[in-house]
Amino acid sequence: MKRQVISASILSAFLATAVATAAEDPVAVRKAQMQSNAASAAVAGAMLKGELDYNPAVAKAAIASLNATAKAFGDYFPEGSDEGETTAAPAIWDNPEGFQQALGKFQADAAAAVQASGREGPASLEAFQQAITPVLSNCRSCHENFRVRNN
Amino acid sequence: MLRRLLLGAVLLAAAGGGLFWLVTRPQPLDPALLDGLQPGDAQNGERIFHLAGCASCHAPPGAEGGARLSLAGGHALKTPFGTFVAPNISPHVEDGIGGWDVADFANAVMRGISPQGAHYYPAFPYTSYARMEVQDVADLFAYLKTLPPVAGRADGHTLSFPYTVRRGIGLWKRLHLDAAPVVEFPAGAPEEVLRGRYLVEGPGHCGECHTPRSLDGGLDTGRWLAGAPSLEGEGTVPDITPSADGLGAWSPADIVYYFETGFTPDFDSVGGAMVAVQENLARLPDEDRQAIAAYLKAIPSADR
Repeated sequence: MKRQVISASILSAFLATAVATAAEDPVAVRKAQMQSNAASAAVAGAMLKGELDYNPAVAKAAIASLNATAKAFGDYFPEGSDEGETTAAPAIWDNPEGFQQALGKFQADAAAAVQASGREGPASLEAFQQAITPVLSNCRSCHENFRVRNN
Repeated sequence: MLRRLLLGAVLLAAAGGGLFWLVTRPQPLDPALLDGLQPGDAQNGERIFHLAGCASCHAPPGAEGGARLSLAGGHALKTPFGTFVAPNISPHVEDGIGGWDVADFANAVMRGISPQGAHYYPAFPYTSYARMEVQDVADLFAYLKTLPPVAGRADGHTLSFPYTVRRGIGLWKRLHLDAAPVVEFPAGAPEEVLRGRYLVEGPGHCGECHTPRSLDGGLDTGRWLAGAPSLEGEGTVPDITPSADGLGAWSPADIVYYFETGFTPDFDSVGGAMVAVQENLARLPDEDRQAIAAYLKAIPSADR
């Protein structure tokens, strides 16, 4: 019980920080979200390549983390956050319907992967590959139109 | 006196015009090159089609899946010189290339000359395709013939003077159209690296975006593949030489994995115009991806 209280307060402390940062610096938040996506993709990629033994719990964590980011990511592109150290493309604000559509696809694919992974995570590497491949394809389809490389 | 001056001016203008006409003349392929051609192999042609990224410009904008094989054109390339619109290259007899023979096609692809003898603008990357083996071009032609004919012509280019003077491209070609390889390797270089050179410098035409251009729009081969401002306005195209900012830290396996999946070694993903290129690279036989990676690790580094 005590442990639960402590972890809950640590968690709320983190959340409080996240909220404060989000209001002041949406660019930093969405970068952190993209780093989280990349880390999930890295774990997934390592298992798919056979560099890491397949583990259903790890697979589930990767999918769950992508799903959490998919739900929140779109909230961090307020007007004016196209300035500064960002590779967000002007198309995000010039073509909001297209961006919403891309976000919606990411969310739907991630939710389907969560559904497929069940309580224990995908049972086999093949099942994991089938679940996560559509989610990961969103990286390139969204970056095709909504990111600009500056370096 | 006035008459003599006028006469002189007219003669000078005529001589100038004549000289311009001479040096800007289209220079087609040596017909002997086409003599030994085997009948086109459409299967190899399909491989060349993906490698050369034909659909990236010649498929209708936004087309996906099977529709990317209806090569009606229409993709607009907005550059500092104006807007170029890719034409219909489907095998439609009136609107596409259905009425062409293999010599017409090879001259278009490798010399930038239309069947009527006009210069194409180098937005069509024939400066790279000039390095292709003519048999690969014939195979590509055979493959294109198997695709659906589509009626309708794409819009024309929107350019400003002096780029509207098509004949002037002949002069530009004298400076920049060269079928010789860009990177020279010492004798005994691995076969895989040389194969990669062919794929990258020829059909793959990687240098057209990854190499900076000089003021006249020609590639600055002294900074080959060293990264460049995007021709289409936004952002930059990365350095892909083995430099610190480029692929220095990437293993050949990392490069191949990127071609297959679109993920960099730190699991950033491919973006922008490279997405279509990566999807094409993923369709190639593995040996082609390996050869491209071997070449990219063997070329001079941008920071050397």
